[in-house]
Amino acid sequence: MLRKVLGLVTLVAVVLGTFGSAFAQSELVIWADDTRAPVLEELGKQFEAEFGVAVKVQQLGFGDIRDQFKTAAPAGEGPDIIIGAHDWLGELTQSGLLEPLVLDEAFLANFAPAALQGFTFNSTLYGLPYATENVAFLYNPELVETTPATWDEVFALSQMLVKEGKSKYGFVRQEGDPYHFFPIQTAFGGYVFGFDEDGNYNPEDLGVDSEGSIAALTWWENFVKAGLQPQAVDYDVMHNLFEAGDAAMIVTGPWALDRIRKSGVPYVVSPTFPEGAEGVAGKPFLGVQGFMVSSFSKNKELAVAFLTEFVASEDIEVTIKVGDKEMMGYPMYLLGLSRPSAYLPALQANEDPDFVAYGLAGTEALPMPAIPQMGAVWSSWGNAVTAVTQGTETAADAFTKAAEQIRTQLAGN
Amino acid sequence: MSAVKTSASGGASSTGGSALIGRLVQIAILVAIDLFAAFLVINLARDGIWEFAIFLALVTLFVNVIQFRKELFPIRWISPALVLMGVMVIYPILYTVYVSLTNYSDGNFLTKTQVINQVSRERFLPEGGAVFDYVAYRNEAGEFALLLTNSAGEAFFARVGAPLEAVKPDAEGKFADTIDGFTVLPRSERFSALATLSALSFGPEDQPLQISSGKARALQPRFIYDSAKDSFTDRLDGKVYFADDTIGFFVNVADYEAALAADPNTRISSFYLATPTFAQGAGYRVLVGANNFTRFFTSPAIRGPLLQIFTWTVTFALVSVFSTFALGLLIALLLQADTPAKRVFRTLLIVPYAIPALIAVSTWRGMLNPNMGVIGSTLSDILGYQIPVFSDATWAKVAILLINLWLGYPYFMLVCSGALAAIPSDMYEAAQVDGANTLQQFRFLTLPLLLVSVGPLLIASFTFNFNNFVIIEAFNKGLPPILDTPTAAGQTDILISYAFRLAFGSGRGADFGLASAITIVIFAIVAGITMLQFRFTRQWEETSKNV
Repeated sequence: MLRKVLGLVTLVAVVLGTFGSAFAQSELVIWADDTRAPVLEELGKQFEAEFGVAVKVQQLGFGDIRDQFKTAAPAGEGPDIIIGAHDWLGELTQSGLLEPLVLDEAFLANFAPAALQGFTFNSTLYGLPYATENVAFLYNPELVETTPATWDEVFALSQMLVKEGKSKYGFVRQEGDPYHFFPIQTAFGGYVFGFDEDGNYNPEDLGVDSEGSIAALTWWENFVKAGLQPQAVDYDVMHNLFEAGDAAMIVTGPWALDRIRKSGVPYVVSPTFPEGAEGVAGKPFLGVQGFMVSSFSKNKELAVAFLTEFVASEDIEVTIKVGDKEMMGYPMYLLGLSRPSAYLPALQANEDPDFVAYGLAGTEALPMPAIPQMGAVWSSWGNAVTAVTQGTETAADAFTKAAEQIRTQLAGN
Repeated sequence: MSAVKTSASGGASSTGGSALIGRLVQIAILVAIDLFAAFLVINLARDGIWEFAIFLALVTLFVNVIQFRKELFPIRWISPALVLMGVMVIYPILYTVYVSLTNYSDGNFLTKTQVINQVSRERFLPEGGAVFDYVAYRNEAGEFALLLTNSAGEAFFARVGAPLEAVKPDAEGKFADTIDGFTVLPRSERFSALATLSALSFGPEDQPLQISSGKARALQPRFIYDSAKDSFTDRLDGKVYFADDTIGFFVNVADYEAALAADPNTRISSFYLATPTFAQGAGYRVLVGANNFTRFFTSPAIRGPLLQIFTWTVTFALVSVFSTFALGLLIALLLQADTPAKRVFRTLLIVPYAIPALIAVSTWRGMLNPNMGVIGSTLSDILGYQIPVFSDATWAKVAILLINLWLGYPYFMLVCSGALAAIPSDMYEAAQVDGANTLQQFRFLTLPLLLVSVGPLLIASFTFNFNNFVIIEAFNKGLPPILDTPTAAGQTDILISYAFRLAFGSGRGADFGLASAITIVIFAIVAGITMLQFRFTRQWEETSKNV
């Protein structure tokens, strides 16, 4: 009897002890997508071995992170750190979910200024970038000798290629997608939102129906009318055409490099964009990916220290498996493998000429607006480009109507 | 009543100890349930999720009451089902109604308590405020202290709640590993101690130093909350922000009035879209009454394409139901006859039903592509003309209806096969004796009897298609676009896909309040149509009685 009681008491003590120590220990919870999670998991193991702090990496779809974070963080169940894109800043900070980061200038000097600019919202830094992405102009060197200097040349070249039967199509683009249209729009002097004196996007200055934007869409309207753009081209169709050698020129991002390489089609990533009528080179949107710290985290200091002293350290070596290959390097190097890195030493270490070209094409890139107003823009803007591609609207009408829709929504429906 | 009591007590005395043990076990289980529920309720309430906490408390109370009231004895056995229904069905409905009456959306995500906590935590470095590099020390009692150094070459030792003490390094510029019984924290503990360290304030109480972003900084709280006035004062510029519970924002009245003077139509939400930081436009969740409903019914969105979208939604649902039913019934009738290899046919014909709709629709989308798709390119070769399946509204609608027919007929084929088998064959014999031909047999015998059992399924199918978000979104995202409307919409958008865009794609990111309001409106529409249809079903039932 006594032994039984003693046994029970010991059991309870052990259980309580385990729980007690579990509560006393601090731990970090990170939400990451499937590409980044393996690096962080490996890193977490090393961190725990060295410092006794557990790092839990939970894997979510990249886009799911934002939505789930918005509900989980206020409920006290969210992560300490999330990875994400800089254009989430608007809605996340508007709800007070992100912790501002105050970091040394010497430390920040290691990061691409444009990437830091992307994660700066209302003059406050909210994220530590690890990679950037932007689209570039790609061509098939068997059909096109060099990057055409202007979009008018792209037009003429497309006509010539089709006429001479060298390829089925010349330049081909996704039907609606405004993100891929932006380099054309900016080349003709168009824009989406203007800037205020501080260099922040100014929601009052909507440029969808500006002269330059309409000029760009008119160029595209003429291109479509000349019968150079096939019907119903989405992302996959565009790539299939290019990879089969049926399209000579496209605009696409670094995420497509894998499939283009696998297809075996000859390709060149152009470090520049063709110019518009006024001699202005087109600028793509810059997307930045990075780490953000939850303002509801109970371990903010630890989270910041983990990011600055561990993730952004070149002294730590991590080995991960990508497919069958083992990759080794410091965390920022591995995180920036599939995109141009935002960490300058890693960017310089990446000798892949395609990524170098993507990086160069993005030097003049404009950060994708993170202001919440951008939500109202995408669908109307994209619909206008779609309508012109489908031949149901003229360029001027389409952008004027789209701008009207956007202004109605911005005024508060 | 007394008779029941006597029999109950009699039963207890006759079975003696086992009843007592049973009672004890029952109470033990109940205590366990209550403890678990209390744990959940406390946690939920602490996280500010009041609605669910209260609901859960009520459910627990209900469970307790039925255990102790004899007259409620029969309910005990269905109580688990009742509880599950409460949590899984009734609560979500009530919550949707509740959310539709709030301003729950981006910018008004948090509860007021959470907002006050978040804003109160905001700190700033006053001008000339000290910033130090630090090294953490700890004594045997587990107290922490910091060794501080700054760029001016000064060094201090800081304890919690005591003035800074100047310290000097040795000749080599190094500091002692042990100062006043405090030893420097080993490297391995640097990170695990951070949670504790960052919660402490070092140095004198009026000028405390806190660890923030890797340094010790003399931070001060920036916003002071006054609970009596329910307001925040910004210590940087002295501005006062009063809580306005009717709109769910902390508002600086002067700023808002200035914005109103500049533009009398300024809405509070768009005004706060322009505020630089969360703290200065802190929004929280409040009840806003029927605001979301008025917003929906008075918005340009409703004046615009709604009628067009509603007509297409009803057309889409009706045509889908009748085409799938007709084709399904036809095949079922054909398979009823002694067709060779009947089972092979039946199995093959079920295939569309077995493939997930999302994948099937995406595949159709690919196949119909006029350039690359098998069907699309073949058709263009034959016709010498590309059918604008994706850019012409009518063709897009035809394509969607055909794909939905392909997806939906196997269901009705299965259902009709079963229902046909259930019609007694002697009825047909009787009909033949009466001289009815095949068509008459079908019209006056098969169809009425079939509709008795299949009728409710037709209604269910209508409701399903009315809200068939997947096919619309996967086929063409509601496109081709309509540009002549005040809000972005597509020609093939149905109500639910349009509502989705309106609530989540509009200017403010996620707007759950508006989305819930629209959901309730859609629910009312579907409920109305369903009730109408049930009247028809009743007619069918009457038919069956007459047969």
